[in-house]
Amino acid sequence: MGMQGDFFQLLKEQGYQFGNPVAGATGMDIPNATTILALKYRDGVLVAGDRRATAGNMVMYDRTDKVLEIDRHSVLAIAGVPATAYEMVRVLEHSFKYYRRTQLQELSFEGKLRAVSKLLKENVPAALAGTGAVVPVFAGYDHEQGSAKIYFYDILGAEFEAVEYAVSGSGSPTIRGILHYVNTWGPQPLATLSEEEATVQALRLLTSAAEFDSATGGVNRELNLYPVVKLITSAGVQTIAGDRLKRMYEAEVLQGM
Amino acid sequence: MYEEPYRWVEAVGNRRQYLDEQFTKGAPVVALAYADGILMLTVSRGTPKLYEIYDRIALGGMGHPADLEKLRFSLLEMAHVEGFNRSPSDVTGARLMKYGLAPTIKQAFEEIYKAPFIAKILLAELGVKSERDLFLTINYDGTFEESRRWAALSATTSVQARVGAYFESQPGFAQASLGQAVEIALCAWAVGSLAQVSPAATEGESLSAPASATQPDQAIAVPPDKAVLLGHVRQTVQEKSLECILLERNGPGSSKYRALRPDELGALLPSAVNGPKAT
Repeated sequence: MGMQGDFFQLLKEQGYQFGNPVAGATGMDIPNATTILALKYRDGVLVAGDRRATAGNMVMYDRTDKVLEIDRHSVLAIAGVPATAYEMVRVLEHSFKYYRRTQLQELSFEGKLRAVSKLLKENVPAALAGTGAVVPVFAGYDHEQGSAKIYFYDILGAEFEAVEYAVSGSGSPTIRGILHYVNTWGPQPLATLSEEEATVQALRLLTSAAEFDSATGGVNRELNLYPVVKLITSAGVQTIAGDRLKRMYEAEVLQGM
Repeated sequence: MYEEPYRWVEAVGNRRQYLDEQFTKGAPVVALAYADGILMLTVSRGTPKLYEIYDRIALGGMGHPADLEKLRFSLLEMAHVEGFNRSPSDVTGARLMKYGLAPTIKQAFEEIYKAPFIAKILLAELGVKSERDLFLTINYDGTFEESRRWAALSATTSVQARVGAYFESQPGFAQASLGQAVEIALCAWAVGSLAQVSPAATEGESLSAPASATQPDQAIAVPPDKAVLLGHVRQTVQEKSLECILLERNGPGSSKYRALRPDELGALLPSAVNGPKAT
């Protein structure tokens, strides 16, 4: 008998397979480029992602949601192969619910982190074969410690805690430098930003990423498409509405350009 | 010795009698659809009797904790595997009941060499719209029923009839606020509980009214008045605790289940139950 309340184990017993490498995929254009970022601000953690999905030079979709809520207090932002990433989110979502409902208590924050890296480890063969690499950023509220936290991963499942911010995806090199600069020599450290200020920063960062990375979508004003921005505080996960993003973008991002 | 049909029928009959006795001390469970969703309520000592099964499905149980736990786990497993492999909207109370619970419970009941499940279960399913709210109850022998506005678990069919009569006598509770719904549920629960503890009611079909009632024949038509019912609740909660869960149609996220915290529930209780905070 396996661990109590382990949904992934239950799925495997029923013949479910995850992370199997697919042979002969070399040379295929698999959608995998994007920009996601997470940063700590005054009240918790902000997680944001652009909305473009690309395969090679082709733009596949401009309304992707890459910042996915796993439960009321945690979010997985995904960069990499979407098929694997969405499946991971589905497994995690059901695993956390199944644990809570069978064991009659929430899975601890540590437990949730373990579940994410366990799935990434299961996925190593697919990642190495080139068909399933996922490099996510996990952010959530740790009720035991009373703070929101950010973790980032490599494709093999190693887990790192981000002290101030984390980025992932093809557009991330651009904004990583900006984040370092702003956080170190900017008017104030990121951790002291208000909700509004942090959101403006996120919009500016994603706009910068889109400037230099063709695979990052940025903002499309004609179509009224804005990045997905979510806030994690002790109250749970909250999504910033498009209208509000629009107002901030027009007042604080466009104006400086 | 059970090979002869007569013996088998007799054995099943004995089994019914044995099982009926097991439930006489159990607390009834009541559920109703109100304005913002579904409310389920019971009284328990220690082990909880109300549980979350899936995003929009809750379970209430009467019977042996170990049996309830076993059935609860099989439901959870079925619901989550189904919800993952198909979609959460394909997990419905009706399917869980028809293909999950009913065959298992019926088989255990009729296999007279083995122990039956000492369990009665109520599944409440929150519809996307209120017209689709659904309640399913199953007896220890595997027979199940569907209902729309309310449902209850209790020791015997006569107790059940009284709880039903009480619900039907309350006009328009589908529009009730949470506070009103709690009060109706408490009263319905008390009707059932009083009917179970009054000795006449436990004898099965002889219908004499509990407490203040006068004519045995009028028992169903005239439930005891609210003060008596709430007084009974008040007395009960001195040694046991109230358990109340909601399936909230407008709740955040995909899981609509929420257990009311003791302080929340305390604030919603009618003053006849809460009384002055003496102790």
